[in-house]
Amino acid sequence: MIGGAIMRLIRSHLGVRGGLLAGLLAGASCLLPGNGEAVAADLPARTDGALLPRDSTDAAVFRGGLVYANYCVTCHGINADGNGRAARLHNPRPSNLRASDKNDSYINLIVRRGGEAIGRSPRMPPWGEELTDEQIGDVVAFVRSVNVRQP
Amino acid sequence: MRILHNTVLAALALLSLPALAAQEHVVAQKDKAFTTKTLSIKAGDKVSFRNDDSFSHNIFSLTDAMPFDLGTYGSGQVKTVVFAKPGKFEIECAIHPDMRMMIDVAP
Repeated sequence: MIGGAIMRLIRSHLGVRGGLLAGLLAGASCLLPGNGEAVAADLPARTDGALLPRDSTDAAVFRGGLVYANYCVTCHGINADGNGRAARLHNPRPSNLRASDKNDSYINLIVRRGGEAIGRSPRMPPWGEELTDEQIGDVVAFVRSVNVRQP
Repeated sequence: MRILHNTVLAALALLSLPALAAQEHVVAQKDKAFTTKTLSIKAGDKVSFRNDDSFSHNIFSLTDAMPFDLGTYGSGQVKTVVFAKPGKFEIECAIHPDMRMMIDVAP
């Protein structure tokens, strides 16, 4: 149920039917409680009640994907390659996050404070007013997970 | 003399028509929403987007007739757009994806 809502959100906001993020969320959505019956049929019973430990990297990446789909995708795109639907408004274009050579601290900083505060494009808004510390950490984990430069 | 006087007055009236016709409209952003969902204006009118929230907004439109991006601006600030071309403009906020409104610009 929740997974379906996420996919509808992505499709309605982005007008896309595929892509890296949609695939990630489609796959991960089976781990959500809304699909509990289907999961229970395929996996051994768990007694701790948690399918993903909250503090695990996988959980952060999944949560970060949701944050990304809601806030970042308009400019950075469904594939995180800087080709979102609003990218054409910007010069310089939004960053291709998949090819970024920046470390997690830098990404955290530019997300939190925006581009202008650190000498980058002023078109990158400061998200520190809108997102929680956890959401920013999660979206950094998601961006790291889609980076193709990592070893 | 009287005919000349009337002609001059008529010419002045015609010259001043565009200035009189162009109006300024104000759309505020409050509680992560536009204060109106739709707005009907005429080509040449101005719309001022005023941030009445305590945090930033970033108003933009991807409408082909006149795409624009006002950038990020903080509480109390106002950014103005002249809608020179007719059409239907979807207005959004880059920071708050649920914020959307339509401006219908008549010729």
